[in-house]
Amino acid sequence: MIVPALEMRNIVKTFPGVRALSGVDLMVQRGSIHAVVGENGAGKSTLMKILSGMYQPSSGDILIDGAPVTLASPAVAAHFGIAMVHQELNLAPDLSVAENVFLGRTPRRGPFVDRKALRTGAKDVLGTIGARLNVDALVGGLTVSQQQLVEIAKAYAAGPRIIVLDEPTSSLSEHESTALFDVLRRMRAQGTAVIYISHRLREVLAIADEVTVLRDGALAGARPREGLTSEEMIHLMVGRKVTDLFPKQAATIGEPLLEIEALSDGRRVQDVSLTVRAGEIVGMTGLVGAGRTEVARAIVGLGPRTAGTIRVRGHNVAPRNPAEAQRAGIVYVPEDRKRDGILPTLCVRENITLPILTSLSRLGWVRGGAERAEAQGQSRRLGISPSDPERRVSLLSGGNQQKAVIARWLASRPAVLILDEPTRGVDVGAKAEIHAIIGDLVSQGLGVLMISSELPEVMAVSDRVYVMHEGRIAPPLERHELDERRIMALATGEAVT
Amino acid sequence: MSVAPLSPPRHSTRSMLATAGSLALPLAVVAVLLLGVSTSSNFLTVSNLLNVLTSMSIIGVIVVAMTFVLITGGLADLSVPATVGMGAILTLALQPMLGTVGAFSAGVLAAGGAGLLNGVLVGYARINAIIVTLATGTVILGVAQWVVGGVIVYGADPTSGNLLKGRVGGVPTIVLIFASVVILGHLLLSHTVWGRWSRATGDSLSAATAAAVPVKLVSAGAFVLTGIAGGISGGLLALTLQNARPGIGQGYEFSAITAVVVGGVSILGGQGSVLRAVGGLIFIQLLTNVMTLTGVRTPVQGLALGLLIIAAVALDLAVRKRGGA
Amino acid sequence: MTRLVFWAIDYRVLVIWFATLIVAVMTVPGFASTITLGLALDRAASMGLIAVGLTVLLAAGQIDLSSGAVFAVSGIVAVVLQPNIGIWPAAGVGMLAGLVAGAINGFVVVGLGVNSLVATLATLLAYRAIGHWITQSQPMSGMDIMLALAISQVHWGMLTLRAALFLVLILLLHLWLTYTVAGRNLIALGSSPETARTSGLRPGRMIILAFMGAGLLAGGAGVLQSLSVNTGSPVFGTDLTLLALTAVVVGGTRLEGGRATALGTLGGVLTLVTLTTGMEFASVPAYVQEVVTGMILLTLIVLDRFARPQGAMT
Repeated sequence: MIVPALEMRNIVKTFPGVRALSGVDLMVQRGSIHAVVGENGAGKSTLMKILSGMYQPSSGDILIDGAPVTLASPAVAAHFGIAMVHQELNLAPDLSVAENVFLGRTPRRGPFVDRKALRTGAKDVLGTIGARLNVDALVGGLTVSQQQLVEIAKAYAAGPRIIVLDEPTSSLSEHESTALFDVLRRMRAQGTAVIYISHRLREVLAIADEVTVLRDGALAGARPREGLTSEEMIHLMVGRKVTDLFPKQAATIGEPLLEIEALSDGRRVQDVSLTVRAGEIVGMTGLVGAGRTEVARAIVGLGPRTAGTIRVRGHNVAPRNPAEAQRAGIVYVPEDRKRDGILPTLCVRENITLPILTSLSRLGWVRGGAERAEAQGQSRRLGISPSDPERRVSLLSGGNQQKAVIARWLASRPAVLILDEPTRGVDVGAKAEIHAIIGDLVSQGLGVLMISSELPEVMAVSDRVYVMHEGRIAPPLERHELDERRIMALATGEAVT
Repeated sequence: MSVAPLSPPRHSTRSMLATAGSLALPLAVVAVLLLGVSTSSNFLTVSNLLNVLTSMSIIGVIVVAMTFVLITGGLADLSVPATVGMGAILTLALQPMLGTVGAFSAGVLAAGGAGLLNGVLVGYARINAIIVTLATGTVILGVAQWVVGGVIVYGADPTSGNLLKGRVGGVPTIVLIFASVVILGHLLLSHTVWGRWSRATGDSLSAATAAAVPVKLVSAGAFVLTGIAGGISGGLLALTLQNARPGIGQGYEFSAITAVVVGGVSILGGQGSVLRAVGGLIFIQLLTNVMTLTGVRTPVQGLALGLLIIAAVALDLAVRKRGGA
Repeated sequence: MTRLVFWAIDYRVLVIWFATLIVAVMTVPGFASTITLGLALDRAASMGLIAVGLTVLLAAGQIDLSSGAVFAVSGIVAVVLQPNIGIWPAAGVGMLAGLVAGAINGFVVVGLGVNSLVATLATLLAYRAIGHWITQSQPMSGMDIMLALAISQVHWGMLTLRAALFLVLILLLHLWLTYTVAGRNLIALGSSPETARTSGLRPGRMIILAFMGAGLLAGGAGVLQSLSVNTGSPVFGTDLTLLALTAVVVGGTRLEGGRATALGTLGGVLTLVTLTTGMEFASVPAYVQEVVTGMILLTLIVLDRFARPQGAMT
């Protein structure tokens, strides 16, 4: 019986008000690639943060090479040979590539940096990964995909026993991903235990030896890759048939509400055109970094817009900020709920009424009764729970926070609602509720542009789907043309239909 | 993350801490009052308390405005001594030409203009408020002195301060002015659109921006308010004292920030209210009064103030962390 | 042409200093003598020593408003204890006072988690108060006026003891920030505190040490000042912090952390001191000097903001 490189037993993690992990097991063998799969909010990140020493488990054991350990901090975890490549990039922008690769383990001669060893070492590691980067370049000036490569190099350079990669291909091109897989296989051959977190099932099937599926904070199943199919993985991840999860309501599709032509933002986004019609849910998908959020932000004036026309109900508009966009009838629910969505110390009512406050006031004085009525109305309509509008919004669950943000924009009676990853970090029950809300809205004549990375979601509810790739947009796919492989091909730039 | 929430989230600890946080200030004031009564027979006299109120009023105007700066996440306005000085100098220097009211208004306007400069640089150009207000402060005070040739300005009309030094219905005029400013400020922050926008801006700049709040305008506006407040305070001081030294406002920015922070307004923005800031001011002024009455020397008072800020902020942080902000 | 402009902005410290120097030499009679420059450098020394400490702290993403007060208190301690334990031990204790003050700052920021701006604002008040307390708000005389003269003596036509000390320390700082592991780690900390933590660095320890270093430097400067004028006073150093901060910012070190340049600080200090000395020689009134210094700082901050668009990571 070979001692596994890593064993996590019955890990429980609770935060105030939420149990993120309830008794999860994970067993990873030396010299293998083990994929951890699950939806957003399934607990993958939490489990990995525990492994990397950033969180402490509420209960449960961790064994490395058979010996129980306590990973009290990232430094301790590093000491045990655990290296983590985060999804949110963890680099120092003002330092060079080489310095970042060796941060915390800088080669030294006495108190001085051994610059030669630093640069040579960095060049070696980058070469092994197949990344062509200037080791003296400041990390802050690199593109996101280049930064991700530096992050991977940093983990690899530590010669770890266990390396964890969290969605490593999210910003990589096809070519770079393949090169990465080669590196992972090389690491496997050297006996490293590789843990690969992803929800890209195609990739998982290509590279993993074993798969652990998490669902709702618990272990849904652990299987060897042989014989495992996508359908089975999805079934384990979701627990029920996909179509049940995203009920599609019928709605009549009307005239175009939003027409975008030749939109560019002077950076990534180039020559993007799309249309959203009344009653329609238009999905927009693509890999991370494809430019979808940038398009949305450019439309409402949160980001730069250097070219292109925007027409709402046939009239030309050019919003320079969200207030003008709102007046034009376009509203945007941001991708990062925590940073750009909620106002954490304000209560639900204040969050909901913020964009329409001037209409609820007279000469600058807020009319309390009108405001409360509006807030309660929206809150009830969307089923925000707990229903007390005076409650601080930071105390709500992710799903209810999302509803509050959506409610905020409904109050202004928009023509088009742009939703950016509306169900990210939301539990399964709330996901269904949110989709029901979306379905409701379009049946009342609104148009919805839904940006999402979750293919099952996009395919289940969209009437048409646009796929973006490196700043450009492909012609839309009609509902009957939707096919996972076709969408992935467009997203990765493999095929041109 | 977001999985099935635990059955009843533990309200008790969180709300207990929150209640403790909001009760701390009133309790502290009561404690100081009790301390004062027990250590000095002069404390609870009308004349003493009126004295405290009067000395509180001048800086109180600034405290109200500084609250807005902290709430919008503007960190601090360190140019207050300069705007106070400018208000004072201009009020007395222009008095012969423009009359008392005219000169006072000119002083306030000029100070407001300084605030506008701060506001544009911090709110629109988004440069660090500390360094901006430090720099503009030196410039403005220098300009104010330059305008009058570097001398101390004396009041031309000694009677112009009479109204201010007098009383209305037994309450000193200055205190009435302060009280009105407090009420105006409180209503502005808690009941108007502008106030809501201010809190949103300080709570989360990016979320407020995405929610169509004019964040740059609101950030800038807070500094205009402190500029105007400085001008008003300076003008009032000058009329009461009938002279204006350039250093007249020295230390005001620290006292104002101390009061605001001790009152529980967070330096990180978003949380707090005018009433809390004023509460902090009252606490500090009463404490200082008690210390003076019992013969505690000024330096020790300074020490106590310093420790107080640290304690107040540390407590605020502890409450926030466990309260789940 | 645009390249030239960008170069000028990057090396603006040099540009400004040269410009200031030339204007001063041309307009102020007697400016271009070594004695004047020597005096100027000596004045620069106190501000400069504090600026060195401040540069380190800013690199780490912290700020210290209390250095002026530490400056005063250390000097006071050095003078007050002279009759009891002798001049040199007293000076030593004075520097120790600076170190302790720095440690307190560090503890409040790291241990209590208070924002460094607020924390050092509070300690500024406290240390000032201590200064007034010890001296009863009166300046106190030291014992040895001959020593004072010795310290202020100009060597090699241009350098006093503390001017030399400042120059040596600035060079050491440059080497430290550029070539040592500890220095690079500090910049990493200011650049991205989260990254520093997950990379196994110890932010708390680094910050406390940085504050202690700054405290020691302010303390050293204060002791030197008091010894050189044979006086300890609670009002010494009142505008030093602002001047030092101006010099550091003018030099290009970033307030938010992650970018620090010792040579830039040197340039900033030299510029400021050339400016102030030049203006004094030209009998420019103090308030006009304030306006000029303030305007320069403002212009530089604004220029910096627009020449280098903000944005670390994409």
